[in-house]
Order: sequence, then structure tokens, then C-alpha cells
Amino acid sequence: MSGDLLELRHLRVAYGSVVALGPVDLTVAPGEVLALLGPSGSGKSTLLHAVAGFQPPAEGEVWLHGHRVAAPDRAEPPERRDVAVVFQSYALWPHLSALDTVAYPARRRGFDRASARRQALGILERLHIDHLARRRPAELSGGEQQRVGLARALAREASLFLFDEPTAHLDTHVRSVFLAELDARRRASGAAAIYATHDAEEALGLADRVALLDAGRVVQVGTPAEVYDQPVDRWAARLTGIASVLSQDGRRLLVRPGWARLGGDRDGTVRAAWFRGPHSDYTVETTHGEVLIRASGRPRHGIGDRVGWSLDHSWDLAGDDALDQPSTSAGPD
Amino acid sequence: MPRLASRPADVGQRFEVAALVAVAALLVLVPILRLVETAVDEGASQYGAVLTAPGLGEAVRTSLLLGVVVTAVAVPLGMVTALALRQPQLPGRGFWRVAVLLPVLVPEFVLGYSWQQAYGRAGFTDTLLGVPFPGVVGPVGVVVVLVVNAVPIAYLLTAVGLAARAEPDLERAARASGAGSLAVLRTVILPLLRPSLAAASVLVFVVTLASFAVPQVLGAPAGVDTVTTRIYADLSLGAHPNSFVEAVTLALLLVLLAVVVVAPADAVLGPRLRSVRVADSGGSPVAVGRRSGGGWVALGLGSYLLVAVGVPLLALAGASVTRAVGLPPAPDNWTGDHFSQLLDQRTFEAIGRSVGLAVVAASLLTVLGAAVAVLERRRAGRSLATLVTLTLVLPGSTLAVALLIAYGRWLSGLWLILLAYLAKLWAFAHRPISGALDRLPPGELHAARASGATAVTAARTVALRPLAPALVAAWLVCFVTALHEVTMSALLYGPGSETLAVVVLNSQELGRIGPTAALSVLLTGLMAAAAAPLWLAFRRLGAASSSDRELAGVR
Repeated sequence: MSGDLLELRHLRVAYGSVVALGPVDLTVAPGEVLALLGPSGSGKSTLLHAVAGFQPPAEGEVWLHGHRVAAPDRAEPPERRDVAVVFQSYALWPHLSALDTVAYPARRRGFDRASARRQALGILERLHIDHLARRRPAELSGGEQQRVGLARALAREASLFLFDEPTAHLDTHVRSVFLAELDARRRASGAAAIYATHDAEEALGLADRVALLDAGRVVQVGTPAEVYDQPVDRWAARLTGIASVLSQDGRRLLVRPGWARLGGDRDGTVRAAWFRGPHSDYTVETTHGEVLIRASGRPRHGIGDRVGWSLDHSWDLAGDDALDQPSTSAGPD
Repeated sequence: MPRLASRPADVGQRFEVAALVAVAALLVLVPILRLVETAVDEGASQYGAVLTAPGLGEAVRTSLLLGVVVTAVAVPLGMVTALALRQPQLPGRGFWRVAVLLPVLVPEFVLGYSWQQAYGRAGFTDTLLGVPFPGVVGPVGVVVVLVVNAVPIAYLLTAVGLAARAEPDLERAARASGAGSLAVLRTVILPLLRPSLAAASVLVFVVTLASFAVPQVLGAPAGVDTVTTRIYADLSLGAHPNSFVEAVTLALLLVLLAVVVVAPADAVLGPRLRSVRVADSGGSPVAVGRRSGGGWVALGLGSYLLVAVGVPLLALAGASVTRAVGLPPAPDNWTGDHFSQLLDQRTFEAIGRSVGLAVVAASLLTVLGAAVAVLERRRAGRSLATLVTLTLVLPGSTLAVALLIAYGRWLSGLWLILLAYLAKLWAFAHRPISGALDRLPPGELHAARASGATAVTAARTVALRPLAPALVAAWLVCFVTALHEVTMSALLYGPGSETLAVVVLNSQELGRIGPTAALSVLLTGLMAAAAAPLWLAFRRLGAASSSDRELAGVR
């Protein structure tokens, strides 16, 4: 219906008596990237497993290309679904070289070994890892293994990529290079993607839309700007970035680091100061609670200094009543 | 400084390793060297006569053929069982995982004898249904029962291989790359399992080559001789003047055949099998819909176990309470006579000896096994661990003959049997403890040391608790195995040193069917009583690890 590539209708997944996901209703349009953002245990992998066909739904349906591919009584096996998966664990077969790993999907489509390998080599060249073609997983670094994993997914030529926290095991510097590669290749293929992650920066940076997941339920879906600027509650605010919550006139106000400035007619006391390289972060105690303020350059104030500050922007967390928690989530990152 | 500080510890370690090497030398190396020496000294002049003795070539050929056929059938069956028990939709999976191991818990001798009672002439199916399977006594019966006995070994090694190497994500990746379940089996699972299957094949072949009880019970009456039954006949009957030399020669030949198979396999597979890593994420790789073949798999497993173990044990129980051979095991024909006949001093003494030997052997073996497991983590101890592992493939008959030659002059039967148990079962105690040490995160011990604990305190407060189930398991495995061991005991016992298993074997050889069945029931009962805590220990071990995995795999 309505031209969506993927549609989850009231999907619920259970392992025995433990409900791990749902009910969830979500759609992904052709070419769109949907990020699933949630802490570990929130059901991200379970949702991907249900879409890939690794786990049947306990309730609800999965529709792909307008066809129902999974329901409690009947599920298409993974190999017949038009999806490709990149795993957190890389999931490279230890007995196959990088070349044969990437040739695997073409072999399953019926190509002979030589032409499957030719295609695989082409993909490895595009990812600039053709020099690794003969190596087995044990001879590859984590970043190289995940690039081979990405190459294998590209070789599947699917309309939907499922990325299951693909950068979770990668070092920070390898991660950014890999993400850029992933984004570029995914765009070039024109395929849609669901990208599961617990990293807000990755989700906000990569996705067209972000779905926030908590305990198996979708808490909010929106564009990256919407979920960052207008989170539905304090939990969603914290999940999507650094959040200070001030109480003022009986309301709960979300303040992101860039929304408040040093200098102004409001009074406060510096309780902590961190140098972050390009900028500095201050935790300032005010009459409305603690607020995190970001300023360029090195710290100019020390702990205990009285400072003036002003508020450019805030977001009213309607209905937020979780008052027992400290209001600022900033800390040494 | 560090060099100076570590020197006393180094000396201590070397002393410990040297002490264990001395024990291993006394238990294994000296007897084997004496065996070789005897074969050279006494055999040289008589080799012509020994090697051309009638039936000897036939016995060697039969042993080899049995090894090949049983391996070819049991390993694929074990693999299929392991793959079937991995299916999450199999109802009662936990129960089946234990049930498929049942044939190992029934003493090999009892299994053979119970098959004869179940399917042979005047057996259970004959008297009840009029359907005898006379082939049970003969080569076919020997093969089938050895297969039943070997399937759990192949299953265990394959299941461990699956758990260690076939991470669910590897299978999921193949499915998501377009492979159907058969293609996944062919392109991913089988290649991953290749080392485990090869190891299972080697082990099953060697175990079959060294098997004695089943060929003795089901083969010998039909004139089927193997190397092991011939060694037994040579030593216990001594029918001809060259018997002793023949036994020595065959014992050497047996170990040579085992080494010829094991050595190349170990060279190729050893490093791959030793690098055991536990699979990451849990859960089943691909769970299909609820309505799938789980029920059929359960039915197949149930039928197999019923035919392989259930009916034979039932027949055995029937024979033990039935008045005479050939009568149907109906209540009218029941009697307690066979059991009351057993209530004599000889049986009680045999039970006492068996239990006593098993307790002493298991206790010493747990200490020896733990010592090797700890020392193998240092360079000096590694060769010791290899030596201990090699005793696994040393045929019991060879070991018994070697011990007899080396120490028979000074030691009585019971002491020889104890030495034989220690030599043969050392690896049984070593493996579980070594495995548990592998799983112990090194960080925990380091954390204890960094928190101020000495090495001993750290081991006592941090390591002992997680290791306890493995120590208990090692003790119980040795106890249970020693309790029903018959291959070596039958060659080493003397007057007044018969174990219960030997009494059962002698009774069977005298053709006393009812009393033999009653004795077999008694022996199986003892085994079951000992195995129950073993099962609980394994459940505790398994429960701890699998609950972690399930929790991790839920989301």
C-alpha cells in the first residue's frame, strides 16, 4: 500500500514467553534510511531479525514490496526476501576468502564460480579492498572485516539493507571512515536501509527518519531534527543527545547545549568545566536546575565561579513528570 | 628484578612438572617400553609361528573392518543428531539432549548382552512376537551395537563443534545472502564442522578398534574374533604355547594401528581443534514458523532410542526376573531367584571392590587431572598434557598387557587394575577441568590479585567456585567409567580381585542367562545411581552458561 517498500503492521516478536518487540507499526519508503535508535535490549536487533526472516512474528505482519512476507502462521525464509544484512559480529565465514565471501550471494543466484568472483572483485575494487581478496577473516582487522561484510551485502543487490550496529566493534577513527563508505555505497545502490544503533550521532547523521525504541516499543518517529529538537519526553531527549531539563513555572524545559549561552542576565554558578577540544562544556547551577552550556575555545571559568547566562531556545517537555532524576545528563564523555 | 623474583617459582614449577612426568612415565611409558622389549626379546624367534597362526589375520581384518564400518555409520548419525537437537522447534529439546547420551551410560557389556536378550533367539521379540533377529549374535549385531555405542561420542564432538564454531550469525549471513537451508548446510555448516567430524571419526575408529565387551558378547559366540577378543582368549585361556607372545604382539599391533590413524589426524587437526572459542550470540540461527518438523524429529529420536536402548534394557530386566529362557516375561513366570542367588559373599565383595576401586581411582584422577590442567598453562607442562591426551587412544587391552608385563611380578590384581584405571582415565579427568580453566576469565584472578589476594587466596576465593562443577564432573566421569570397565579388568584380575563387571562377564561366559541379566541390572543400577549426580552437575554447568547466552540473545 501507498508505495512503501517495507511495512510492519502491529508486529510483535517473542522468545518463548518473553516479548522482545512490539507491537510495532513502521514503514520504510524506497531509498529511505530509517535509523532505529535505542539502548541495548530495546529490540533493535529483534526488529531486524523479524524483517530479515530470522525470527517469525508472534503477532502482526511484515510486508515487503506490497507482499506479505511474514505472519504468525507463515513466513518467507530469509533467502527469498529482498534484503541484505550487515552484522555487528561481521559474521564472515572463517573458511572462505574475502573474494569467495563476496561472491557467495551471486553463487546462490546461480552464477558460476568464475563470473561470481568477477562480480565480487568489482565490488571489492569499488570499496578499495581488492588487495584483501585472498585473505580469510582471521587475517583481517575489524574494520577490514566489516568492509567485507558490507561488500557481501552489496553483492546481494537487495532493495533493503539491514544494518545491525555495524560499527559497534570498530575503533572511533575506523568507524567514521567506514560510515562514510557505507553511506556512499548505500546511496549509489539506491536501496533503502534500516540502521540499528545506540549512538545518537550516527542515527541523526545518517538517517532520513529516526525511530526511538524503548523496551520493544516505538516511542517516537520523526526526522533527525524533530527527534532532536522536539523529543516526546525526557527519556527521548536523553537518548538523542545531551539534555538539560530546567523546571520553570511548573513546566519542564529541555535545553540542548547550543541553546543556552554564557553572558546574560540570568545568574548561575559553575559546578563543572570540561575542555572538549573545539569547545568547552560548563555545568552551571541555576535556580531552575543545572544546565549544560557549550562555549567555543578553552574553559575561561573555573568551578565555583559566578557567571551570567541566557537562554536562546528551549522545548517544553509536555507531561514530563519524572522529577526525581537529576536534570542534566552531561558528564565526561 | 622480575627475573630474580620469578626464579623460585620457576624451580617450583619444574619440580611439579617433573613429578607429574614421573607419574606419567610409571603409568604409561615404562609399561609400553617393557611391552616393546618383551615383544622383541621373546617374540623374535617365534614371529613366524605367531604371525601365521590360524585366524590371526582374520581377527586383524575384522577389527579394521569394524572400525571403518562403525565410523562410516556412527559419525553421520551423530552429526544428524547434533543438527536435529539444534532445532529450536524440537519439543522437549533439553530432555532429548540427555536422552541421546543414554547408550554411553549403559555399560558397553550390558548393552551388548541386553541386545541379545531383546532381539536374539528366545529373546524378548522372539517370545512375545515370534520375531527373532538371529543376526544379533554375529558380525551384524556387533556392528549395530557398536554403532549405538559410538553415536553419542560422534554427537558430542559434533555438538561441541557446532557450539564453538557455527555462530548463529554465520548461518544468518548465509541465509540473508540467498542460501536455502540445504545450501547453508553444504556451504557453511559442513565446512565449519570438518575438523570436528574428522576428530569424531578418529575417536570412533579408535574406540571401536579397542572395543572388547561387545565383540566378546555378540561376536565370539558366532566365531567372530577381533584383536581384543583374541588377546583376552590368549591370556585367559592360553590355549597354545605361543599364546603369551601372540597377546604381546597383538597388543603392540593394536596401539600401532591406533597411532597410524591418530598421529596424522592430530598433526593436521590438533591446532584447529585446540583453538576453541565459544560462539558469540545465542539463540537459534533462523527460527522458522511454529508448524515445522519438530514433532517428526522427536518421533524419530524416540523410536531410535526405544529400539537401541529402551527395548534391550526392558528385555534385560525381563530376563532377570523370568524363571527360564524362552518363557514370555509375564507376571506368572516372574521370580526373584536370580537376584537372591546374587546375594552371596562373592557378589558383595565384587561390588565393594568395584566401588572402592572407582572411588580411589576417581579421587586420585581428579588430583592428577587438575595438576596437568594447571601446569599445561605453562610451557613446561604442555607436552605433559599432550601425553595425557594420547592415553585416550591407547587401547585398554594394550595397556593391560603392558602393565601386566611391567609390574605383574610385584603387584597383585587389584593394584594393577588401579594403575590401569589411572593410566587410561587420566585424560577423562583432565579434559573437563582444563575446559573449565579455559572458560575462567583471566581478569577475575588478576582482579583478585590486584585487590590484595595471594595466588592461593585468589584461587580459593575466585576460581574454586566456578571450577567446582568441573571438578565434580571429572570425579564422577572417572567413577562411572571405572565402575563398569571390563576390558582391562578382565585381563588383570586374579583370584580374589574380580570386579563386578568381571563377575558379570564370567557369568555370561558360563551361559547363566538369568543371573547374568540380574547382575547386569545391578551394574546398570549402580551406574545410574552414580550418573544421576553427574547429570545434575552438567545441568548446573550448562544452565549457568546457557542462561547467560539466552539472556544475551533475547534482544
